[in-house]
Amino acid sequence: MQNILEVHGLQTLYGESHILHGVSFDIKAGETVSIMGRNGMGKSTTLKSILGIAPPRSGSVIYKGEDITRLPTWKRMRQDIAYVPEGRGMFHNLTVKEHLQMAARKNSRGETNWTYDQVLEVFPRLTERLTNKGTQLSGGEQQMLAIGRALLTNPDLLILDEATEGLAPLIRKEIWQVIRQIKDSGVSTIIVDKNIKVLNELCEQHILIVKGKVVFNGDSETLNENKEFIEQSLAV
Amino acid sequence: MDTSLFLVQLLNGVQYGLLLFLIASGLTLVFGVMGILNLAHGSMYMIGAYLAYYFTTLTDSFLLAFIISGTIALVIGIIIERFLIIHLYKRDHLDQVLLTVGLIFIFNATQSYVWGNDPLGVEVPELLSGSIRLTDIVEYPVYRLFISLLCLVVAASMYFTINKTRLGMMIRAGESDRAMVENLGVDISKLFTIVFAIGVFLASLAGIVSAPIVSLVPGMGEHVLISCFVVVVIGGLGSIKGAFVAALIVGIVDTYASVLLPQISSMSIYLLMALILLVKPQGLFKN
Ligand SMILES: Nc1ncnc2c1ncn2[C@@H]1O[C@H](COP(=O)(O)OP(=O)(O)OP(=O)(O)O)[C@@H](O)[C@H]1O
Ligand SMILES: [Mg+2]
Repeated sequence: MQNILEVHGLQTLYGESHILHGVSFDIKAGETVSIMGRNGMGKSTTLKSILGIAPPRSGSVIYKGEDITRLPTWKRMRQDIAYVPEGRGMFHNLTVKEHLQMAARKNSRGETNWTYDQVLEVFPRLTERLTNKGTQLSGGEQQMLAIGRALLTNPDLLILDEATEGLAPLIRKEIWQVIRQIKDSGVSTIIVDKNIKVLNELCEQHILIVKGKVVFNGDSETLNENKEFIEQSLAV
Repeated sequence: MDTSLFLVQLLNGVQYGLLLFLIASGLTLVFGVMGILNLAHGSMYMIGAYLAYYFTTLTDSFLLAFIISGTIALVIGIIIERFLIIHLYKRDHLDQVLLTVGLIFIFNATQSYVWGNDPLGVEVPELLSGSIRLTDIVEYPVYRLFISLLCLVVAASMYFTINKTRLGMMIRAGESDRAMVENLGVDISKLFTIVFAIGVFLASLAGIVSAPIVSLVPGMGEHVLISCFVVVVIGGLGSIKGAFVAALIVGIVDTYASVLLPQISSMSIYLLMALILLVKPQGLFKN
């Protein structure tokens, strides 16, 4: 199978502080990949470097065989990447409906895999909130809107940063269900999350980042074999 | 003041207010979306008026002058944003002041060099030069009604564009969180160019349509800029709805003050602003 994403030796700094120390990994098309790690280890920074939000000082990002390391963020997104950031990125002056309308577009091949109605079907809660402003929603609803908005760009690669963080168990379950549905539709997905149990059964590949370095990269089977080491690295 | 004079002044006040809105809306839009306070905004009003003068004289047609000047204004807006304003997004407010005040000097020098310092005037286009009878003894110039109508049409189009179209949603989203707009695959720099060019266009449009009813003099841009600041501050920085309401209030107050209280008329709108800020420190419509 072909790689949708290849990340080579990312070195990323915020001002003077050196955060990523040569992060490398590949992601196969259609696979779902977890990125794990304790707080502040550089998971979000890795995603931001891939997306050009925190451009790496060196290293490269190859997406669908093309070097996108120097492209501006919006152009990468135009190549069918969607990003649900930590904090969800709600617009305080747009309604739920407008969030979805403004984001919706065909993908670069002119296909529409997700429509407005389909998004409301997987997130029925949003239907009752269509005229509310993005920031008036509960945390769970915001997360649903952020994911729904990302889906309406019809991505090939979906990047989710802490999509279930701080949510009630029932809402989490709902969100995991939708992520599963997205996976089944064939979209490649990178998930940063803390719930190893769910990640273990959902993802084909797992990446563990400690202090800006990849210390583990393997499938669920290997993950289970190294369970002790992984849990140790994740314990606070 | 009898009723008919009262009515005429009310119409004048509304017309002036609507014109102020046209200018102030561009100022507040650019500030709200891009975080740029364009002090040269009034210069675009002046340039619009002088271009209208130039092309009316050249072509003998106000309509042609209107179209050509409007187009030139849009192009000027695009050029200023692409080559100058673009360097300001990552800089602080002082740099904004320096650059945009510098632009005022450049535009004023250009005006003075090309058109001189004597007052100039543009004739009201023939088609709109009549008056209509309001009451038995009062007439009102058609051209002023035309200005009001045009401003209302522009205000309505702006309202529609900003609230109902996808471009408007993107512009509002950019006001809220520009990084997230980029994350959704939108070229924010193009969006900013569009917004800035619209702002410049609106100010110039006001200058173009004012040309037949004001005298074109050096410094007309700064004068209008200050009135616009009053409007924007009363309305609430960044709020277009606020600018609309505030512009009408300022227009009407200014007009009546100059008739009823000529001694203090030049400070009336500042008094008004101070009073409103006492009650609503953030302006009428805090964004
Ligand atoms: N904009 C920034 N400027 C400076 N330092 C930053 C910035 N963003 C993050 N950092 C620092 O970089 C390090 C890695 O942060 P990052 O957000 O990538 O961690 P993370 O693994 O996503 O953690 P979390 O689980 O808390 O989200 C942290 O030490 C953080 O303090
Ligand atoms: Mg993070």
